[in-house]
Amino acid sequence: MILKSKKSSWAYIVARVKVMKRRLIPSEEYRKLLNMDFNEIVRYLEETDYKREIDELAYKYSGPRLLDYALTLNLGRTYKKIQDVSFGVAKYLITEYLRRWDIWNIINVIRGKMAGVSAEEIEESLVPIGEYTIDFYKSLIPKEIDEIVKTFEGTPYYSALSKIGSEPLSIIEDELYKIYYQKLLKERPNEIALKLFMDFIRMEIDIKNIKTILRLKREDVSTDEIMKRIIPGGFEITEREAAKLSAMTWDELIKALEGYWFWKGIEGITDKSISRIEIKFDKAWMEIVAKRAINYPLSILPVLQYIVLKKIEVDNLRTLGWGKWQGIPNEEIEEQLVIL
Amino acid sequence: MAEDAIARGLIAVGAGLAVGIAGIGAGIGESGIGAAAVGATAEDRSFFGLGILFTVIPETIVIFGLVIAFILMFAFH
Repeated sequence: MILKSKKSSWAYIVARVKVMKRRLIPSEEYRKLLNMDFNEIVRYLEETDYKREIDELAYKYSGPRLLDYALTLNLGRTYKKIQDVSFGVAKYLITEYLRRWDIWNIINVIRGKMAGVSAEEIEESLVPIGEYTIDFYKSLIPKEIDEIVKTFEGTPYYSALSKIGSEPLSIIEDELYKIYYQKLLKERPNEIALKLFMDFIRMEIDIKNIKTILRLKREDVSTDEIMKRIIPGGFEITEREAAKLSAMTWDELIKALEGYWFWKGIEGITDKSISRIEIKFDKAWMEIVAKRAINYPLSILPVLQYIVLKKIEVDNLRTLGWGKWQGIPNEEIEEQLVIL
Repeated sequence: MAEDAIARGLIAVGAGLAVGIAGIGAGIGESGIGAAAVGATAEDRSFFGLGILFTVIPETIVIFGLVIAFILMFAFH
């Protein structure tokens, strides 16, 4: 696919996204939010971009579910807006990147069906972006799982979805992500915009893979099992590297991570808690993305940076909301937040 | 007499080129800035004034072109 990018089209979308980025909740505000109770947090959010969604859903829900659905809806709308206001190469790349939400939605529908969750609850968990519309997913909900799988016949996802029933859902989810990444990496970068996008995707795969290796290593899973879940096409962690890393003991593994591009951010991980290590990886990843976005201001990177930052913000607010609702101590909530 | 007319004609063409090419250059420069200014203003109206200011900065190049055109037209006439 040959796409020509013009500087001015990047300038438009990047300027828009940069202004949107200014409206994200600044890191110092989280300290303030941590000292609030649940209702105060909701009231605080009503003064931000989340007002519209909270107002819309407040008549139906309350408590953490209100927050949950409002955050999901806001995330979907924000992404949709970025997709709608971009054009040319930017639109193409953003659309491709946001296709991951197809997987999120498909898995949510199937998981909801398996768990016997009400149709309304499944609907609320859907994020209205990606290739398929919300109406399409709504039409799937009353169907049986076999029928749902059949609907995807002819799409790239079918090969993974047809294994439903014989394999656990988490494996199928991994397979779907593999298909998604494979599709993204099929493009041959013939210009800088595509190359930057590819590098971003490859680095993201690295982070995903290294997290998988660490998590499974902690659970003493065999190398073969780990390798099954590795996404091919990483930036530095190729399949061969991954095989080498997953065959090591924990201490060797931590030592071997030295020298990879993400090493600077995670230096000195002595922590035993895997979630804290994962947060360190997320922070290291975001720092690198921020640095690259500064180096290439008129490219897809500032847009992707915003997309990831928005996701982090929504996840943080969700953790904060649920944590507060369940009365978890502040220190524990803070440990789970990705504050950049 | 004929040579004089050719010289005058060339001066006029030169003056035209000075403004014209400077205008194209400014246009290229402004395209990116203008796009960014519109993008920023679409998100936040307070960027409107600043956006306009930045967009017209490359316009100064056209003023240089215009000055050259005037010099050509009046000093060498």
